[in-house]
Formats: sequence, structure tokens, C-alpha cells
Amino acid sequence: MLAAGFAAPLVFLVVQASGFGQPFTDAMTDPDNLAPLGRSLLLASSVAVAASVLGTASAWVVTRTDLPLARMWAVLLALPLVLPSYIGAFTLQAALSRGGLTDSLIGLSLPEVRGFWAAFAIMSLLTYPYVYLLVAARLRQLPSNLEESARLLGHRPATIFRRVVLPQVVPAILAGALLVFLYAVSDFGLPQLLRYDTLTRVIFSNLLDRPVSTALALQLGMLALLIATGERAAVGRLASAPSRTAAKGRSGLRWPLRRWRVPSLVAVAGLTTAALVGPMTVLVYWSVRGIVNGSTRPSSPIADPGQLLAPVLGSATGGILAALAATVVVLPVAFLTARHRGRTADGANALVVAGFAMPGLIIALSLAFFTLRAPGFVAGLYQTLPLLVIAYVVHFGAQSLRAAQVAVAAVPSSVIDVSRTMGVSRTRRLLRVELPMMAPSLLAGAGLVLLSALKELPATLLLSPPGFRTLATDVWAATTDAFWAEASIVSLVLVALSAVLTWLLVLRRADALS
Amino acid sequence: MTRTVRALLALALLLTLTACSGGGGDTVTIYSGRSASLVGPLLERFAEQTGISVDVRYGESAELALLIDQEGDRSPADVFYSQSPGATGFLAGDGRLAALEASTLDHVDERFRNADGQWVGVSGRQRVLVYNTDLMDEADLPGSVFDVVEEPWAGQVAIAPNNGSFQDFITAVIASEGEDTAVQLLADLAATEAPTYANNSAIVEAVSRGEVAMGLVNHYYAFRFLDEDPDLPIANHLFPGDDVGAMLIPSSVSVVQGSDQTDGARQLVEFLLSEESQRYFAEETFEYPLADEVPAVATIPPLSGLDVPVIDIDELGDGLEHTVELIRDSGLSG
Repeated sequence: MLAAGFAAPLVFLVVQASGFGQPFTDAMTDPDNLAPLGRSLLLASSVAVAASVLGTASAWVVTRTDLPLARMWAVLLALPLVLPSYIGAFTLQAALSRGGLTDSLIGLSLPEVRGFWAAFAIMSLLTYPYVYLLVAARLRQLPSNLEESARLLGHRPATIFRRVVLPQVVPAILAGALLVFLYAVSDFGLPQLLRYDTLTRVIFSNLLDRPVSTALALQLGMLALLIATGERAAVGRLASAPSRTAAKGRSGLRWPLRRWRVPSLVAVAGLTTAALVGPMTVLVYWSVRGIVNGSTRPSSPIADPGQLLAPVLGSATGGILAALAATVVVLPVAFLTARHRGRTADGANALVVAGFAMPGLIIALSLAFFTLRAPGFVAGLYQTLPLLVIAYVVHFGAQSLRAAQVAVAAVPSSVIDVSRTMGVSRTRRLLRVELPMMAPSLLAGAGLVLLSALKELPATLLLSPPGFRTLATDVWAATTDAFWAEASIVSLVLVALSAVLTWLLVLRRADALS
Repeated sequence: MTRTVRALLALALLLTLTACSGGGGDTVTIYSGRSASLVGPLLERFAEQTGISVDVRYGESAELALLIDQEGDRSPADVFYSQSPGATGFLAGDGRLAALEASTLDHVDERFRNADGQWVGVSGRQRVLVYNTDLMDEADLPGSVFDVVEEPWAGQVAIAPNNGSFQDFITAVIASEGEDTAVQLLADLAATEAPTYANNSAIVEAVSRGEVAMGLVNHYYAFRFLDEDPDLPIANHLFPGDDVGAMLIPSSVSVVQGSDQTDGARQLVEFLLSEESQRYFAEETFEYPLADEVPAVATIPPLSGLDVPVIDIDELGDGLEHTVELIRDSGLSG
């Protein structure tokens, strides 16, 4: 029943579509409109593959080898997750293009930063942490005895990785890859800036041609449902593997890298430079340039840093409430999907997952449509904080659902059996036994939702209470008018706030995920 | 549960309470496709002078128009302030806008207001060719916007096909030169592989770096960029006055149908057309004032002396969907 809320965007699109008649049917069946769908699929699946490779490789290197400064890299590698894609894309594009920062500093530039390859590369750099976090956590939990035996038997590291480690981390890779795929499919900022015509981008170019934009949004929704169902089937098959039963053991072997030491170090340093240091450097450069030149307008944070207080509070409020609400709301769905199989569970899972694939704008419009047509009390929620939080939950609940499913599965059935025999009531069992065991995973999932909510823009603009500002809306406002210095400063604050919260909620607890 | 969770809950509750305070009373709600940095200070002045409090929701014009459309009769919006008449026309077509009074409309030249009084122009942005002064000499620039698909300029002029102001420009071409000319122009732009960008800012940024030599944009972006970094090698080139490439795109304001704050809404529209506001647009946002005779700042020529082509701007509102369709069919993908 809770999952019904997640159905709002899809139901909304169907209701709208039924009123359009022929133009909608034409748009839906127009073969030209299949091209953007194909491009979205191509981009999202190749990014999911690349992010899986980058994420898994970097997770293995920092958890399983004697890489120097492994703890530092473990933190740095996760941080690109805090960069909103529109900021990552814009800064990297400006840095690497002809006449850009790297061109003027070291005479190095790319012929053009646009199109499929640019979108693929930059999106992969910004999303691999989803896979990295899940796989690194999984690797830390895995007992090392199997690997040790394999080594004693004289197998090479590559063989052991392929035959022993990989099968156990595949569920974590798949879960991360699904999040990456959905992120790539729903993102608008990056394909727009890098000019790759994905489905989302075409929807936004044709917004006011509603039969067309509705048809394309429905295609996106159906794609998400298909992918979610497919992933659940795949994970279901893998879940029977022994991976989930493994208890937390002594962390695995540390392979000596030897002659691979320097190349590994260069690879990890290169990855963090491209994904994190690069964009941050551009932001700092623009900020400094703007501060040196001074700002011409009084409401700028350059002239008055106090201007930052309201958006910081707004971002923190929206993000934290969304994280808490998402965790609570998806918990029943997690219980349902982790302990039961069947149509209801599969359907609920698919709906929650589909929410992540819908553009924020569609979610906002659907909530506006249903809220204002509902009776007084519900309509009164319109453009209040609770409704905005609901929008965030519908959009990002998939991320906390992943964590919650892991959490539910992690409660051993023996614990439940024992408490049941002792006559402990259901509620009491949930509160005193299960929730404490699940808390670390749930918090980590909440952290992922929080980060996404901090970056969210279109739903925030349409559904927030009057006068509500977030750092993301301030960045948007500054960039639309080309106040680069201001946009950079607010972006840096957004990244800093996200990094602090990621550290507190995700990284410290990453072990609990997977 | 852990102490962290409890602390977060307490913080969230506190923040909710502070965020929910305020509201009520006589408040005019504006959905503004123009950003806070452009119009925020002006709306604050209105609130101070009239005592009418103002709630502003900033967003993209098209997205706000869609929102008002979905909200229907219960829309909180009293005023819709759009980047251009394009998104306004979408709402007017659905009967979501109320007619403005003749006395309000009369502040503005007929060219920049709706014949049915659904919207009135507030300030104008001119379409120009921005160019890199290191790469191009002023004397070698194209004399008409239609030359950008001819040698030697073909393929060197950037456009933003998905951007509202490029769409407005194409609508104006359809209105003034006919649909065939517009279709031909779009086809030529696609055939000569005109570099495409996400929006005006991205074009000016690329021109300033020398990635592309020229671009079709609105006039004030170059001013904004030079304000931030005076050394950038960019300048605007104006097409002659009879050229549709030099058209003026008005920002437009409307009162939403069914508003329960009609008086306040109308006062706000009047305020935006007052001399004080118009002077603000000229001096602070580098735009052309459209009401009565307020001179623009020295850096941009005054509107009265400006030779802008006469275009039925109403077409911008009515023809947008068709324009979007033509751009889509041309194969230009931004």
C-alpha cells in the first residue's frame, strides 16, 4: 500500500496521456522517438559497466592490497558522489576544453568535450562510488579463509579474484550498477551540458509539447520498471549463492603489489584527480577570481557570507528529513521483498526503483496534480515541507531500499525464532531486537538519500514552501545568470556540507552496507 | 536507536518549525521564470513600498507554466513572470490567464504586448551575434542572421537549439519570413554542422575561450561575463535593424486566472512598468526598458533609437509548440 505513493508519477503520466488522444499515440509509436530511448539505454548501460569496473577495481585495491595510504584513498574514492552531475560536467568541460584551464596552464586540451564519449566518461567518473561503496563494504565483511586456502593451493591473485572473490561480490556490484544505471537514465543536467540527446534531454526540450513529452516520459518509466524487474530476477538467482550467509570475519588478505605498486598508485590518484580534484580546482579558481574582482551585487555571498545561512539550513532540513522519511517508508517494502517473494513484493520493489528513474520534474508535477485534487487536508500539504519530503522519498527511496533490503536479510532467522519462542511481541521484537541490528545499514542508506536530496533541483524548485532556498537552487540561480564566482562558492559549500554528512553517515558506516 | 539519530530528529523538528513559520494575510504569489538575482531586489522594493507581502517561486519559465497548468483552479500563483512570451502563450492557450487592464497595457508599445491583454512586456533582450575579438574582426562579421549558414561563417556560429530564446527567434522567423524560410534556415544550420550548446551562457563561455568564434545569443550575457572578467575577448555584434536576427525578446508578465489577489497582482504588474523598475532593468540587468520612455544605460543604445525589426511578438506565444516541432524535425540536436 505504501508503494502506491510511488506509483503517483506513472499513474499521472497515464492519466495525462489518456487525454491527449491521437498526438500521444503518434508520439508513442513514432520510430524517430525510439532513438533517444536507445541513446539513454546505451549511455546508462555503458556507464553502469564502466562504473562497475572502476568501482570494483578501486574497492579491491584499497581493501585487499598493500597500497600506500590505503585509508586515505578509501575516503577520497567515495567523495565524487557528493558532486552534482551538472557541476561535475560543467567544471570538467570548462577545464578540459580548448582555451580552458588546463589549456592555459599546461597547454593541454581536448578537441571537444561533448557527445557520447564525454557524457560516458564524466558520468562514469561521478557515479562509480555507488559501486565502490557497496563492493568495498562487502569485501571488508568477507571472511578471508577461502582466499587463504586458494593462495595456499598456489593460485595466482587474478585467478583467486575471478574464482573466489568475484562470485561473492557480484550481488553488491549488481546493486551498485542498478543505482548507477537509474541515475544515468534520469539525469538531465549532464546530458544537457554535454549535448548528448538522451530521453531525459528530449523530454525537457519538448516540455510544452505535452503529448510528446508525456509519451517519452512514459517510455522512461516503462524502461525503469523493466530494468527493476530484471535486476530482481537476477539478484534472486544469485541470492541462493552462499554470499549472504557469510558472517563478518577477519578482513581479507592484503596482497603485496610489488611491481604493480606504482601503477596502482597512479591509477587511484588519477581516478580521484579526474573525478574530484579536477572539478574542485575549477570551482576554487572561479571563486578566487570572483573574490579578487569583487562582486557587483549586494545579495552575493561574496559581499555578504551571511547569505549562505538560509540555503545551508534549507538543504540540511530537506535532506535530513528526506533521509529519515525514506528509511521509515521503505522499511515495510524491504521486509516484504526480503522475506517474501511473489508478485506483490516484485511489484512494490519495481515501483520504488522506478521512482529513481523518473525526472524530478515529472514527480513534482504528478504530486501537484494529485495533492490539489485531493480533499482539504491533503491539499493543504501543497508546497509545504512535508510534500517536498514526500517528493524526495518517491524519487530517492530506491537507494535506501537497497540498504534496507540488505539490513533485513542480515537479521539471522535464528534471532527471530528465539525471540518468538520467548513470547516477545511483534512490535517489541522489531524495536528491541531487529532495528538495533539493522541500524548501521539503515543509516548508510539514509546517507545516500540525503546526498541525493541535497543535489536535487527541479522538484525542489516547484514544491518547496514559499521562500525556501537550498544550496542547489542557489547554484542554479547563479549559473542561469552567469554569476560564475557566486555559483562556484555556493557549489563548494554544497560539496563541503555533503562531504561532512557523507563522512558522518555513509563512510563511517560503509561496512554495514552490502 | 542511537544518539545520532535522536540528535538528527531533534534538529529536523526544529528546522521544520522554523521553515513552516510565516505566510497568510495579503500575499501576492509570483511564479517567476526570471531569476532571483535579476528581479529579487525589485520585488522586495514592491513589498516595502506597498506593504503587500510577496512570495516568489523561481524556476524555469516552461516548468512553472506546466506547474500552473497542473495546479488548475487551485493554483497558488497570482502572477506569472516569464522569460519570454513562449511559455506564457502555452498558459494563455489553456485559458489560464486573466486579461490585463487597458491602462496597464498602454504603458508599453503595441509591439511588446499581447493583443488580447493576456501579457505585457516588461524588459527586452536583443538577439545579437557574440564573437571572439581575438579570432574575428568586426568588419568580417556576417551582415544578416541568414548569412551564418553561408561561407565563410558556416559551421562557426554556435546556437542553442533547445533554449527558449533560440526557439523564440525561430518563431519570429516563421512570423516575419514564412515557415519555408525557417525550415530552410534550420536545415542549413544542421547541414553546415553549426556547433550547438546547452544555452546562452554556455555559448558565451565557449566563445570567450575561443572554442567557437561566434554565437547567436541574447545581448546581455556578454555584459555579465565582462562584469566578472573584463579581460575576456568577447563583444556583441548587432545585425541591422531590418534583420530578424536583431529582434527584441520581451520578458512578459501576466495575472493568473482565478487569482484571489487580483488587486495586489495588478499593482505588481503596474510596479514593474513604473519608471523606477524600468530604470532598474536598464541599469542593473543591462536590459532594454519597454515601458514609456526610460532610457537604457549608455553601454546599450536606447530603445527609441534602436532599429528593431517589427515582428508580431504574439506569434511567440502562439507558435511555440510548432516551432519546437520544426526544430526537432530539422535534426538539430543541441
